[in-house]
Amino acid sequence: MAYFGRRFLHMLIVLWAIATILFLLFRLMPTDPSIAHLDPTFTEEQRQLVRAQFGLDRPLFEQYLIYMKNLAEGEFGLSFRQRQPVMGLVLAVLPNTLLLTSSALIVAYLFGALLGAYLAWRRGSLFEKISVPLVLATRAAPEFWLGMIVLAIFAFGLNWFPSGGANVAGARYASEWERIFSLDYLRHLVLPVLTLAIYLQGLPALLMRSNMLEIMREEFVTMARMKGLSERRIMLRHAARNALLPLVTAFALGFGQSVGGNVVIENVFSWPGLGRLLVDAVANSDYPLAQGAFLVIAFVLVVMNFIADLMYGLLDPRVVHGEH
Amino acid sequence: MASIELPHIAAAARPRAPGLFARLARHLAKNPSALIGVSIYLVFVLVAALAGSIAPYDPIEILFTEDGQLAASLPPSAAHLLGTTNLGRDVFSQLVLGARPSLFVGLTAAVAVATIGSAVGLVAGYLGGWVDRALMRLADLVLGLPFLPFVIVLVALIGPSLQNIVLTVAILLWPNAARVIRSQVLTLSQRQFIEAARVTGAGEWRIMLVHIAPNIVPLAFLYGSIAVGWAILTQASLSFLGFGATDTISWGTMLQDAYASQALDREQFSWFVPPGICLVLVVLAGFLISRGYEELLFPKLGEG
Amino acid sequence: MGTLLEVKGLSVSYRRGGVAVRAVDAVDLDVPAGAMLGLVGESGCGKSTLARALMGVLPGNASIDGGRVALDGEDLTELTPAKRRQRLWRELSFVPQTSMNALDPVYRLRDQMREVLCERGGLPTKAADERAVALFRSVGLDPVRLTDFPHQFSGGMRQRAAIAMALALNPKLVIADEPVTALDVIVQRQVLDTIRRLGRDLGLSAIIVTHDISVVTYLCGLTAVMYAGRIVEQGTTEALTRRPTHPYTMGLMNASPDLHEPVETLVPIEGAPPDLADPPKGCRFAPRCPLALAACRESDPPPVVVEPGHSAACFRAAEAGALREAARKASTWTR
Repeated sequence: MAYFGRRFLHMLIVLWAIATILFLLFRLMPTDPSIAHLDPTFTEEQRQLVRAQFGLDRPLFEQYLIYMKNLAEGEFGLSFRQRQPVMGLVLAVLPNTLLLTSSALIVAYLFGALLGAYLAWRRGSLFEKISVPLVLATRAAPEFWLGMIVLAIFAFGLNWFPSGGANVAGARYASEWERIFSLDYLRHLVLPVLTLAIYLQGLPALLMRSNMLEIMREEFVTMARMKGLSERRIMLRHAARNALLPLVTAFALGFGQSVGGNVVIENVFSWPGLGRLLVDAVANSDYPLAQGAFLVIAFVLVVMNFIADLMYGLLDPRVVHGEH
Repeated sequence: MASIELPHIAAAARPRAPGLFARLARHLAKNPSALIGVSIYLVFVLVAALAGSIAPYDPIEILFTEDGQLAASLPPSAAHLLGTTNLGRDVFSQLVLGARPSLFVGLTAAVAVATIGSAVGLVAGYLGGWVDRALMRLADLVLGLPFLPFVIVLVALIGPSLQNIVLTVAILLWPNAARVIRSQVLTLSQRQFIEAARVTGAGEWRIMLVHIAPNIVPLAFLYGSIAVGWAILTQASLSFLGFGATDTISWGTMLQDAYASQALDREQFSWFVPPGICLVLVVLAGFLISRGYEELLFPKLGEG
Repeated sequence: MGTLLEVKGLSVSYRRGGVAVRAVDAVDLDVPAGAMLGLVGESGCGKSTLARALMGVLPGNASIDGGRVALDGEDLTELTPAKRRQRLWRELSFVPQTSMNALDPVYRLRDQMREVLCERGGLPTKAADERAVALFRSVGLDPVRLTDFPHQFSGGMRQRAAIAMALALNPKLVIADEPVTALDVIVQRQVLDTIRRLGRDLGLSAIIVTHDISVVTYLCGLTAVMYAGRIVEQGTTEALTRRPTHPYTMGLMNASPDLHEPVETLVPIEGAPPDLADPPKGCRFAPRCPLALAACRESDPPPVVVEPGHSAACFRAAEAGALREAARKASTWTR
């Protein structure tokens, strides 16, 4: 219990620190802070609103306190370009990013774990000799380039899937849920998920393989053989089960990292997610939006790191039940 | 009597890197993948160095065909090995010159990460106490930052030059190097020869620099080599997103250009596939080298 | 009582860096039903390899070169892998060394017992659970510990659990590889008592592999001494302790303290066993043997019957009586 408490506290501290860093970055940059927060085309009313909310004419420390208070309330200000609350814009695209990330990760980890286990089982075979460098190559490849190739082949070449966006332009749906589960959305989801999965599967595959190889050397695997258990049972229920532990934590960690790393994939496929929002915001010097998008991405990362810690604790009986 | 004997102990017991080059060479011979990695690097370094001579055209020069037409989107031919862009630029020349920024970023980032990581690891491990705790908290914090988004934000704020990209990458990648080096320093400081050196009156700084630092160079090197791939991919990603240094041709800008010019739709594979392959090769070479090097440093028992 | 296990000419080699090393060389061994045989030797003599070869589960780079292993008349080496696997645990089982990670850390003991009892024993879950409780009790473990994970057990408890698991399917023969080596002395004695009691109650046949003679004298009626991959002497424990015939056995008896006899100087055997990749010509013990003759370095001594049920592979077996006197003196062994 104390373990979890400590990790939770750690998570809060990191979140606070990141928010503070962002605050300092944006305010201490060699530009007039008021400009950094006010687009010249704002009306006077809107300027007053922003000034009040962010206390731009107050000393730095007071601004910081106001900033932290705003954050705690989820108030990120108004987007320069779109004149709408940043929070609303961020929340609108958050589901898209979460869906993309989770689908890709699930596919990648399922495939990767199986591939890794198989590679361990077939150690020394030709298949292994070819596959391992190939898997390394997928990790070495820039995600956006993989996306470009996937697009060129499947979207433009074969015309099986659309080449961008999340829905066909102009489509209307009764509710968010309907939109997300529509065939149209799913069709748009396929290529980005495929690309991201190709990129992500390398880690679980290699991790699973190296875990399995180590575990197959353990005494309890030899003992399982001496007990006359079938090789399949030994591989799945004993070797793989032990080898999976680190993969589960890697999954949680991968989720957090991917949400940020999705940036490029979302751009290649014009997928309306957080990454795309961030890039557009930065390109347009829309600081409040950029800040909001970044903070939400960082939030997801930190929370997922914490969940990874939790899961590791829960799954390894040695941690839960304490060393004897 | 003790004070007469100890200096000898200190000198004799100091671990030396035994014939590092000889070991390296022998290890390379046994490790084909690391050898491949090194060869790939050498090829690209050569290409980058001789780019000026290898590239048949100026990469940004807009070219025209014999009958005065824009040499746009030409398929690969003898004159244009990889064809031309939609604005009539030679792709092959761009490819060859694109090696420079990538390798520059990769190598400088490696040095930067190795340096910062070593400095922090040394100081934290050796001084201990609140300095250590503070530095490790800082490391935790940095690891909690989303990598690419932070790079994007920081580069947007301080300016999109290659040096700034390297700096940002180094700021984000030092924690892992620092942690491992710190462990190594902690292990080393417990060893006898440090005690011996202390007793003979060597100052803390001297111990740190003369006795401990040389032993962590291999680790610094390892983490530096790991940083190369990350740095190159990050620079490529930034260029692709439009946040990179716009004045230099790099593989990332080539891909951005291709993407923006609908090369995908027109299936100009010779334009957008080679830069990616080059990136894959260079980063893969980095992986192979760091894996091979890691095995050299930490040989796995009972393998093979 | 008939012979339960008959081993004839068993050889096992493994590949070490391209060279084949014979860890077990033409071993003959007999275990009668209901008997406990102690297999003694120093580290590296091949006793663990022999134990694993009997089970038929060897590491990837090792294999049986020749010989037969007959359990109740059936040659296990002749069986197909599938049939061999059928025999495993049901007819012969194994108790591993304490220090090893022999139980899967992510499954509770109850589940691991169930796995053996249901998968290999064909019992329904409920019957398996009942049997698991009985087994635990028989080894002196509280059945409530069945819901625990292996890391929650102490070393001694883990060994008892391993013994319980080994007995689960009522095997004919149990092979124990250094079963008490990593335990402290008091716990050692407790586990040995458990094994002894079970041996008596169940009429268990067992091979106890160990480097510790006192374990053998405490537990086993029969003893076989192994050196450099070969059996150099075997017979009843009584015969080997009172009338050791092979110089190596004499040395071993000297080197082990006995709480019941006056403490004389412990005399270790100097030197080290030969490198099995390149074994010496003649008797393998000759280089270290203070009683060796020229003939010993020329050819391999075959086993000689000393008395019924007691054999030793030494050219000087006939003079054993006199040699024993010399062997008891420390000066004989120091050079």
